[in-house]
Amino acid sequence: MGFFRNLFGGRRDNSAELAKQRLLTVLVDDRYKLTPDTMAQLKAELAEVLARYLPVEATDIDVSIMRGEANDHLKADIPLRRSNSSEEHG
Amino acid sequence: MARVVTITSGKGGVGKTTTTANLGTALAMQGAKVAVIDADIGLRNLDVVMGLENRIVYDIVDVVEGRARLRQALIKDKRLPELCLLPAAQTRDKDSVTPDDMVALTDQMRADFDFVLVDSPAGIEGGFRNAIAGADEVVIVTTPEVSAVRDADRIVGLVEAAQKGPPRLILNRIKPKLVGRGDMLSVEDVLEILAIDLLGTVPDDEAIVTSTNRGEAAVFDTQSQAGRAFLNTARRLAGEDIPLMAITEQQGVFGRFLGIFGRKRA
Repeated sequence: MGFFRNLFGGRRDNSAELAKQRLLTVLVDDRYKLTPDTMAQLKAELAEVLARYLPVEATDIDVSIMRGEANDHLKADIPLRRSNSSEEHG
Repeated sequence: MARVVTITSGKGGVGKTTTTANLGTALAMQGAKVAVIDADIGLRNLDVVMGLENRIVYDIVDVVEGRARLRQALIKDKRLPELCLLPAAQTRDKDSVTPDDMVALTDQMRADFDFVLVDSPAGIEGGFRNAIAGADEVVIVTTPEVSAVRDADRIVGLVEAAQKGPPRLILNRIKPKLVGRGDMLSVEDVLEILAIDLLGTVPDDEAIVTSTNRGEAAVFDTQSQAGRAFLNTARRLAGEDIPLMAITEQQGVFGRFLGIFGRKRA
C-alpha cells in the first residue's frame, strides 16, 4: 500500500513523527519502569487521594511524562466532574 | 596532558569504530598527538578500519599483563606520524582487562598525547565499563533509528551514573532525503529525545564503504561529505567553534555528484 501511495504521489504517513512518539513512550518506560499497568495504578491511587477533596474519577485522569532539557516532567490533566452532586465533596 | 575521550553507543553497528578512526585521524591531521585505543577485546576492528592490521605485534592485553611495554605495542599510522593505535587482543575476552587497568593505562598515556580516543565495544557490560573507566568525557554515536536512539538513551543514563559528565552526541548516517520527506528522525528530533549536547552530524555516505575497504579514513577524502563532517566534528572536539554543516537534500545530491568524480579519480 505504501508502495502505491508512493508511486502515485499521495501524502505519506509521517513515519519519523511516529518513530519519535514511540521513542518518547518507550524511553519513559526504560527510565522510570512505568509500564501501562503501573501507570494505571498510579492514576487510580492519585484519584483515590484527590477524591477526598475534589470530584475526581480515575478514568478521567490523563498522566504523561514529558522529556525536558534538564528534567523530565510528570504532567497530569485531571478534569473535575461538574455535577450537582459536588456538595457531597464539599 | 591528554584528554581521554571514549566513543560509545550501546547498539552495535552505528559507526563507533569508523567515528573513532576518523576523529583520531582528523585530530592528528590538525597537528595533535593522538592515540586511539581499540577496547573491543575479542572483536578487534579498529586496526582494519585504519589499515594497520599487518603491523600488530603486541596488543592491549600484552601491555596490561606486562608482556610488552606500551611503546612496543603502539602502532604508528601509515601517513600520520603523530597518530598511533593500541590494538585490542583478538584471542582474549573482555575480562582480560579491568576498569582499573584501563584507568592506569590511559593515565600512563596522558603525558605523551593530546588526545586518547577509546573505541568502546557495543553493549552495556564489562567491555563498555572498561572503555569508559579512564574517560574524561564520553561521546555517544547513534543513528536516526528507534533502536539506536533507545540504546543511546540507556548509555546517557549509564554515563551520567558513572559521573563522567554529560556525554555529547554524534548523529551518524543521516539520510537527508528521508528526513526531508518526514521518514527519518531529524537532528532536532533526536536532540529533543536524548536531551544532550550535539558534537556533530554525519550524513550517510557511500564513501565510508570505499574508504573502509581501503583501510583509509574518510577524512583524507576531500570529496567525501562524511569525511568533511568528521573533520568538522574533530575540530569541535578540539574546542573550535565550527558551525554545523547543513545536511540538506540538495547538498546530498551535490555531494553524490562530486562523489562520482572523486571515486573515478581515485
